[in-house]
Amino acid sequence: MAELRSNLVPQDYYKSRVVIFSSIVWIVMAILLIRLWSLQLIMGESFDDMAIENRIRLLRLSPPRGAILDRNGKALAENSPSFTLSIVPGTIKSGREIIETYSDVLGFSPEKMRSVIEKSLLAPRFMSFPIKKNISLEEVSLIKAHSHELKGVSLDAWPYRYYPCGDLLCHVIGVTGEISSPELEKVGRVGYRPGDYVGKTGIEREYETYLRGEEGWEQIEIDAKGRHLASLTRKPAKSGADIVLTIDASFQKFVEDKFTERAGSVIVVDPDTGRVLAMVSKPGYDPNLFSPSISELNWKSLNSDPLHPLENRSIRGLYPPASTFKLVTALAGLSEGVITPDRNIFCSGEMELGGQVYRCWKQHGHGRVNFHRAIVESCDVYFYELGLKLGADRMAKYASLFGLGKPTGLELSQELPGLIPTNFWKERNYGTFVKDGENVTIGIGQGYTLTTPIQLAMMTAALDNGGNVMRPYLVEEIRSRDGSAIFQQTPVVRWKMNPDPHNWSLIRKAMRDVVEDKSGTGRKCRIPGLSVYAKTGTSQVISAREKTKSDDDIPYHERSHAMFVAFVDNQPKKIAVVVVIEHGGGGGKTAAPLARKIICRYYGLPDPGDPRE
Amino acid sequence: MSKTYLDSGVLNSVRKFEWFLCLDGIILAIIGIVLIYSAAIPMGGVGRSLVIKQAAWLSLGIVLLILFSFVDYRILERWGLWIYIFILVALISVSIFGRVTAGSRRWIDLGFMRFQPSEFAKLSVVIVLAKSLGDRRRGPLTDWTEIFRNLGLVIVPVIFVATQPDLGTAIVLFLVAISMMMFVGLTKRIWTTILGLTLVSFPLIYFGGKYLLLDYQKRRLMTFLNPDLDPLGAGYQIIQSQIAVGSGGLFGKGFLKGTQNQLMFLPAKHTDFIFAVLSEEWGFVGCMTILVLLMAFMLRGLAISGRARDDFGTMLSVGCISIIFWHVAINVAMVMGVVPVVGVPLSFVSYGGSSLLSSFLVTAILTSVSSRRFSR
Repeated sequence: MAELRSNLVPQDYYKSRVVIFSSIVWIVMAILLIRLWSLQLIMGESFDDMAIENRIRLLRLSPPRGAILDRNGKALAENSPSFTLSIVPGTIKSGREIIETYSDVLGFSPEKMRSVIEKSLLAPRFMSFPIKKNISLEEVSLIKAHSHELKGVSLDAWPYRYYPCGDLLCHVIGVTGEISSPELEKVGRVGYRPGDYVGKTGIEREYETYLRGEEGWEQIEIDAKGRHLASLTRKPAKSGADIVLTIDASFQKFVEDKFTERAGSVIVVDPDTGRVLAMVSKPGYDPNLFSPSISELNWKSLNSDPLHPLENRSIRGLYPPASTFKLVTALAGLSEGVITPDRNIFCSGEMELGGQVYRCWKQHGHGRVNFHRAIVESCDVYFYELGLKLGADRMAKYASLFGLGKPTGLELSQELPGLIPTNFWKERNYGTFVKDGENVTIGIGQGYTLTTPIQLAMMTAALDNGGNVMRPYLVEEIRSRDGSAIFQQTPVVRWKMNPDPHNWSLIRKAMRDVVEDKSGTGRKCRIPGLSVYAKTGTSQVISAREKTKSDDDIPYHERSHAMFVAFVDNQPKKIAVVVVIEHGGGGGKTAAPLARKIICRYYGLPDPGDPRE
Repeated sequence: MSKTYLDSGVLNSVRKFEWFLCLDGIILAIIGIVLIYSAAIPMGGVGRSLVIKQAAWLSLGIVLLILFSFVDYRILERWGLWIYIFILVALISVSIFGRVTAGSRRWIDLGFMRFQPSEFAKLSVVIVLAKSLGDRRRGPLTDWTEIFRNLGLVIVPVIFVATQPDLGTAIVLFLVAISMMMFVGLTKRIWTTILGLTLVSFPLIYFGGKYLLLDYQKRRLMTFLNPDLDPLGAGYQIIQSQIAVGSGGLFGKGFLKGTQNQLMFLPAKHTDFIFAVLSEEWGFVGCMTILVLLMAFMLRGLAISGRARDDFGTMLSVGCISIIFWHVAINVAMVMGVVPVVGVPLSFVSYGGSSLLSSFLVTAILTSVSSRRFSR
């Protein structure tokens, strides 16, 4: 059977096979051509009709994004229709006519209009190409009044994010923006497509999954030119859920309006639950600038602003707690048995340690001070001494008990932890333990110590509610569009401090007298009829400086931060307030009056004004 | 010495140059660019760049065609195994580093170009099979071990390609290998066994397919059997493509005038469904022109295989022609709704650099085989 391969040259041996294969090619091609003939020439007409009637197209329906509401249902972020004028390049009859009709109403020069139309010719021919986005309602009526409908031009409504209250609560609400490619690639961003909008910051970002809703689709019929004729079937998009905040917009507005300084933060919480009643970070920005997309100019100016308006200082501002930290040092001193309430320390206005002089804020000294007076008058020397005796680790223990130096667990994930220095931390970062001189400064909340306003707020809340460190929260409820609650917040006690009741009441008594006592540093927050407890703080930005200068003579960036923490425990309504004014000078002087105004407004009392000296 | 070298080598190449085959391929590719232009117009700016890219690929293809035509194809006999191994490595790396387009990993990004190894896998399989089938004593394949040894060479790349997943290329690879073995011939006993096995395996394939095929492949199969099941989902491609072909009529709707194409009803119209664009805008006459050109290419190629200098050359040419044959048959049948949509480009015509280059390499190999034939 098998011949030797050299016997025959291939052309003879394979001849029959080539013939067979060639016939297979002939046959298959013939079959294809016959099928083609029957499709194109026998059934052709019916397919022709189908092609003419073949006008069903699938449109994607993006779901309306959920709203962000204040506790009374007032909208803080919602959707608003924006109009886009677009042209369908494949259907333009006369470019000249379009230029003539629209360049005036749109405020475009004819040259610009022409270049836009030329650009549109590069786009898919039967898809609309936007000429101008974000046309206001007035402009829409102008366009409609002044121009007859031209072939190839269409006006479409498109929802975009609108923030009715402008910059009110901007840092908490956040902004939305077009999804970026790294975001698109992330797992869990399934179902998103380029061009979709997602929450970028704040609640918009944290609650994206709830706010977004579910995409729907619609079959539409179009004509031979690609124009929309009729809607066929549709699966409506499911709109996103509404987020109800704990904040009352009118109260928030009051607080923001009263904050007239350049930069800083105010936080008002309900001490028993951790519910955030107001959260201010100044300066702010108008989130509407980001909708639908921020212009390069605005972005540049926001980003390069030295006051960083985009930063949420309430959760990301790191400040030395200054004298407000003395409450921590005081509790540590009493609990660790380092001091007794009656022991006096002599304050000469300064303390010397290792050749370094540590000054008290009161130049000529407080004289003999006991525990109570040290807090009421915020004597630095007393707490230098205490800090020295306690050491960093023992102070850090009580600071952590109060929740300082770690995130509070607020819903906004960008929260910074701050820093409470310990020997372990110092050794790891600097190779040495905390020095005595540093213990002294930690005692009055300076040095390495850094806290955020929200941490101070939860500390203040704990001082009010008997030592429960609460998790603060901004979201009261998540509500689906039909009104049913998807999620309802319940307050969370993160931990109980279980303080010694005697020590606790000593501290609270002192805090009460910060406001009530004639020599108290927080007298400007005194409100007749309310039992206000407070502590002032003045955190120095420049460590060594002339004490004689008044604040007005010091350049803005060298002025101290004014801090003030206060709570009111009049039942049943309680409140805790933290005021931080960057470069605001003395806490008692500038921050306390602001706190007073906020508290008065909360209790519906008239503002008593600054007390007469 | 030098005279004989010239006589059998370069000089022969020039004298016996396959003008017909080369021109046929180039004309097909140029028609392809015209069709891609038409398909790309409604896609706007993106479309325009497709035309330019394809023209660049065509130029590169022509250069490669001329260069490789003068290379003796017998070099492939020596290097075939190494090419095969290289392609296997590329296929493995594409499944690890490849970039994902439309859900499958098929491309390797070389920076300056994206290289699709599965297109070249077909050629490398043809080369190793041609060597394996050309080296043996002539006569039909008589025993199973021989069949399985040859099948083994193709099964490995088929598995890698199918898991990319690129079902179309996997099927073509397999069919090309079968065609080459058929060309060698099988004994009657083996034929009957295969026939019996095929009959038995139908239910097995049916149930196996249920578990082995991916969801989208299953959907395609189901909707092929009944496109009206899902007219806007997976059946969409089949229906729209059939409408495009059918509404073309005898002379077509004219260049750039096909509504199915211009209104973007056609899916993947510059790649796998380019034939639908042709049918709609140029009608039966246009389709026939392309099919005749393709058929001429195949018949000429088969004629070359019959006249090759050695068995390797014959098998190589047969393999190359079967690549083109199966691409054309499956693609055209797919566009007309005769077979399921499996994603096979139309050789020479469809958009795609790797596909175009491999078509031109096929032409170059055939030209090389042709110019080294014995003259009578």
